[in-house]
Amino acid sequence: MSLPARVATLVVAFLAVVAGVVYVVFGLIGQKPAVEDFRSYASNGSVDVTMMTAPQTTVSNKPDWVTYFIKNPATGQFDHTTYFEVPPNTTVHMTILGYDGCTPLRNPLWGKVMGVAGGVENVSYFNKGKTTPAQPVQVFNSYANCSVQHTFAIPGLGINVPVASPPTVEENNNLCTISPCVGNNVASGGAPHSIVTFSFRTPNTTGTYRWQCFIPCGGGFLDGNGGPMGTPGYMMGQMEVYA
Amino acid sequence: MAADAPSANTAQPVPSGRKNDAKVLLILWIVLGTAGALIVGLVWGPHMPPGRMSTSAEGQQFDYQVLGAIATPVVVGVLLYFGYALVFWRRKPGDDTDALPLHGNVKVQATWIIGTATIVMFLAAFGTYELVAPAGAGGGEGPQPIWKPVGTTTSSLTSWTPGTSNILQVQVIGQQWAWTFRYPQFGGFETTQLVLPVNEPVQFNVTSLDVIHDFWAIQLGVKADANPGLNNVAYTTPQQIGSFEVRCDELCGIWHGSMYTTGQVVSDANFMAWTKKTAVQLADVTKLLPPYALTYDPTTIPAGKIMQDLGLTSAGGGYYNPADPVQP
Repeated sequence: MSLPARVATLVVAFLAVVAGVVYVVFGLIGQKPAVEDFRSYASNGSVDVTMMTAPQTTVSNKPDWVTYFIKNPATGQFDHTTYFEVPPNTTVHMTILGYDGCTPLRNPLWGKVMGVAGGVENVSYFNKGKTTPAQPVQVFNSYANCSVQHTFAIPGLGINVPVASPPTVEENNNLCTISPCVGNNVASGGAPHSIVTFSFRTPNTTGTYRWQCFIPCGGGFLDGNGGPMGTPGYMMGQMEVYA
Repeated sequence: MAADAPSANTAQPVPSGRKNDAKVLLILWIVLGTAGALIVGLVWGPHMPPGRMSTSAEGQQFDYQVLGAIATPVVVGVLLYFGYALVFWRRKPGDDTDALPLHGNVKVQATWIIGTATIVMFLAAFGTYELVAPAGAGGGEGPQPIWKPVGTTTSSLTSWTPGTSNILQVQVIGQQWAWTFRYPQFGGFETTQLVLPVNEPVQFNVTSLDVIHDFWAIQLGVKADANPGLNNVAYTTPQQIGSFEVRCDELCGIWHGSMYTTGQVVSDANFMAWTKKTAVQLADVTKLLPPYALTYDPTTIPAGKIMQDLGLTSAGGGYYNPADPVQP
C-alpha cells in the first residue's frame, strides 16, 4: 500500500473512532434533561414537588418506555424530565401520581418505605372518577398483591418509597395510554392511578443526589435494567440541592 | 580521491569508560538501594493502603511493604546505571571512534540470571504463602473456599454470639445500583447498612441479583466479584473500630460510579445492639424476603393470584411482545 493510501486509511479509521465516541456520548447516553427549579417556590422551609409515572412516553421517540414526569412549578404542565432542583435544609412534600401498572420487586426489601417522615407514605387510589381516602403504608408485598409499580429511591439519603399501583386486574388493563397522563380523559388523566404522598428533608449541604427506580422496568433489555432504567429522563434522575 | 586514505571513523576503538566505573556503580547502588529499600519498607510502608483496619488489609499492606522494598533496589539500579552512563560515558567532543566490541561476560550473565531467578522464585513462594495463610487475603474464593480462617467454624447459620468460634455470616447482595446486606444469624434481616463487630472473623457471602458487580470494602482489604446465581466467599477480621468505604469495582451500568456506601466497625456490644434494633425495625419487610439462601433467582417468585392473572410471575424484568410495533 502506498504512503498516501496508508495515511488516508489511518485518517478514516481515526475519524470512524471519533464518530463512534460522539455517537455513544450524544446518541446513546443522551444529553442531560431539563432541570425543574423549585428553589424559588420554597416557603417556610418546605416545597411541594409533584411527579408522575406513566406506562409509556408518547411524547418522546421511545413511546414504549416507562417514564417519570415532573410538574413544572411555573407552568403547571408535566415536563418530560427527571431532574429537579430544591434548596438545602428544606422539607420536600412529594406527590407522585402513579399511572403505571404493577410489577414485582426484584428485591422485596424495596417494598419498605424508608428515609421519609414517619417512615410512611400515604396512598389513595383513583378509578372511574372516584378517589379513595389516603391510607398510611409502611411496607408493600409486591409478590402477593398487585401493589407496587415503581420506586422512588435516593440511595445517598437512605430514601426508598415504593410507588403504589392500581390494585386490580381491571384497572391494570385500562392504564393511561397517552402521556403525560393529564385531563379527565379515561385514556389519560382519568385512567386508574395511585396518589402517593410523603415528605423528606433535604440535606444541609449542597450537592447532587441521584435517584432511581429499583424495579427492573426496562422491558426488552438485559435483566430489565437497561433502556429507561439506564437513561436520564425516564426512570432515573437527579435531585440537585442548591441554595 | 584517495580510496585508501585513513579516516577518523576507522580509528582503533579505545575504552571510553573510567577504570573504576564498576566499583563506583556497585557502591552507589548498594548505598542508595539499601537506603531506598529501608525508606520504602519501613517509612512509607506503614502508610501504604489499604491500612490495617482488618487482618486482610494488614496482610496486604505488609505485602506492599515487602514488594516495595524488593523492587526499590532494582529501580534504583536501573536509574543509577542510566544516569551514570549519561554523565560519565558521554561522547567527548571530536571523539568519533566506535565503542569497544562486546564479547560477553560470564560473571555478569550468571549474576543476572541467578539474581533475577532468586527474586522471582522468592516472590512466587512469598505470594503463595501470603494468599494461603491469611485465608485468601480478603479476596473472593468462589463458592467453595479452600482457605478458611484458622479456629473458626460454621456451627450455626441461625445464631451468633461474640467471642465464639462460630464465624459471623454477612451476605452481600449487589443490584443495580446499590448494595444490601443480609444477616442470616439474626433472623435474616436485610439492610442497606453494613455493620461489623471488631476482632470477630467475618465470612462475606457475595452475590448479585442482576449483572456482575464487585464488592470492594477498601479499608478492610476485601474484594470479591458479585455474580448472579453464584456465591463468592471472602473472609476478614476487622481489628479497628471506625468506618470504611464500600464501592463497586466492576463496571455495572450508568450509576456504577454512585454504587457506594459506608460501612462501620463497632464494638461487640454495639454490634449486638444494632442487630437487635435493626431486626425490629425491619421485621415487617423481613418476613416478605425470600428464605435466606446463598443465591437468589428473581425469575421465580411466589406470585399471588392477581399477579398470576396479570401474567406477572417473575421479577426478572419483562420483555416486549415481539408483535409490539416499536422495538427498543
